[in-house]
Amino acid sequence: MSTQAALLVSVLAFPGGLFALALGLALKGADRRFAARLQGRVGPPLLQPIYDLVKLGFKRTMVPLTATSQLVFLVTPLVALVSMLYAAALIPVPGLPAPSPQLGNVLVLVYLLAIPGVALMVAGSVSGSTYGAIGFSREMALMLAYEGPIVLVVAAVALRTGAAEGQFAVLSLTEIVRHQQVHGANLFDPVLWPALIAFVFFYPANLGIVPFDIPEAETEVLEGPLVEYSGPALGLFKLMSAVKSVVVLGLGLTLFFPLVPEGPLGLVVWLLEDFVLMLIGVTAVRVGIGRMRIDQAVAFFLKWPLVAAIASLAVVVVV
Amino acid sequence: MNILTKFKDVAARSPWLYRINAGSCNGCDVELATTALIPRWDVERLGCQYCGSPRHADIVLITGPLTRHVRDAALRLFEEIPDPKVTVAVGVCPISGGIFRESYATCAPIDQWFPVDVNVPGCPPRPQAILDGVAKAIAIWRARL
Ligand code: SF4
Repeated sequence: MSTQAALLVSVLAFPGGLFALALGLALKGADRRFAARLQGRVGPPLLQPIYDLVKLGFKRTMVPLTATSQLVFLVTPLVALVSMLYAAALIPVPGLPAPSPQLGNVLVLVYLLAIPGVALMVAGSVSGSTYGAIGFSREMALMLAYEGPIVLVVAAVALRTGAAEGQFAVLSLTEIVRHQQVHGANLFDPVLWPALIAFVFFYPANLGIVPFDIPEAETEVLEGPLVEYSGPALGLFKLMSAVKSVVVLGLGLTLFFPLVPEGPLGLVVWLLEDFVLMLIGVTAVRVGIGRMRIDQAVAFFLKWPLVAAIASLAVVVVV
Repeated sequence: MNILTKFKDVAARSPWLYRINAGSCNGCDVELATTALIPRWDVERLGCQYCGSPRHADIVLITGPLTRHVRDAALRLFEEIPDPKVTVAVGVCPISGGIFRESYATCAPIDQWFPVDVNVPGCPPRPQAILDGVAKAIAIWRARL
């Protein structure tokens, strides 16, 4: 019973749940503020994402008459959010208790990362809106393009760690972190550099950030799958994307650079790394360039990140 | 009760804007879309954000004299916006028809059709006036939450 309670705490409070929610919202706020500053504007307050959520709580949730199923329409955002909270509980955060192996390993995480995309697809198609349908097809095309590379990246890291540890593959994220603490970060392992490149491109695509925010482009398809959502249901999607940014950042740090000092200082350093990566890797890029077309994005993913990931995997297997 | 008021104060800091172009000459739309967002005026510091879908909107900005062609679509669009919402008419066109005032093809003034809360006159209005209108709309919206 007590282990079940511990699992529940890890999904609902630390390191999933509230912790990931708070961090995700803080990242979003910093992102919006920094983007405004880069454009020479004042920008919204840092707590703006929280204001937005409270506001959405006051609004009415409308279900369109065209929706094929009211139930699915309303449950989809919940499924997306819960899957991300679970995924956040799988990320080893330094300074916090390690995630329980009972929750699952990196394979579970890869599956969970696919759920929000699928939820968006379902949301777009169930709403019965034309724009939702366009968003659905774009999301699906993009997902098919980026899911391959991420699986190969994870496989490359798992096999590389496994080879060094004398096993076939190491799938536990905690083990991967421990290995790097002893043998040095994967960031400095030339064999895994192609995988790192693939991951760098996976990051904005999975989070729906410029230049890969094609399914939710508000100037083209009126926010695509989210077009019919209003009020609290939309708020759940916003929460989901906040947690997702934490999960994907955490996954990247875990796979490639988990070296931080011991104890609470490690947590502080880890949080700082999150913010620095978000502001430099996402905000600066987002402000600097425009959106790709869906065919360009798919062609790009099938050309560069996929090839990089395959190359990395091949080298790992051969070496 | 007190907590509810607090939450409403917080919620009022996040008004999302939605633009309806009801047959405007595009002058007012350019003022809304670009000038109000440039570094000098920046509506985002009020917490505003232009949203793509009417379902996400809190404050509706209507421009143009409401041409007959677009009237039913605009009314339908207005219905799609979830309550509570505030309507701001931008430009002199929605007030009187402006330069289109004697035209057979327009339905101005638009307050026959929409519950207009704030008028921002001007052809096109200056960005300061638009920001002032949005700020007034936020005050009204706060009371409606
Ligand atoms: S008020 Fe003037 S600028 Fe604005 S839409 Fe009418 S004619 Fe154009």
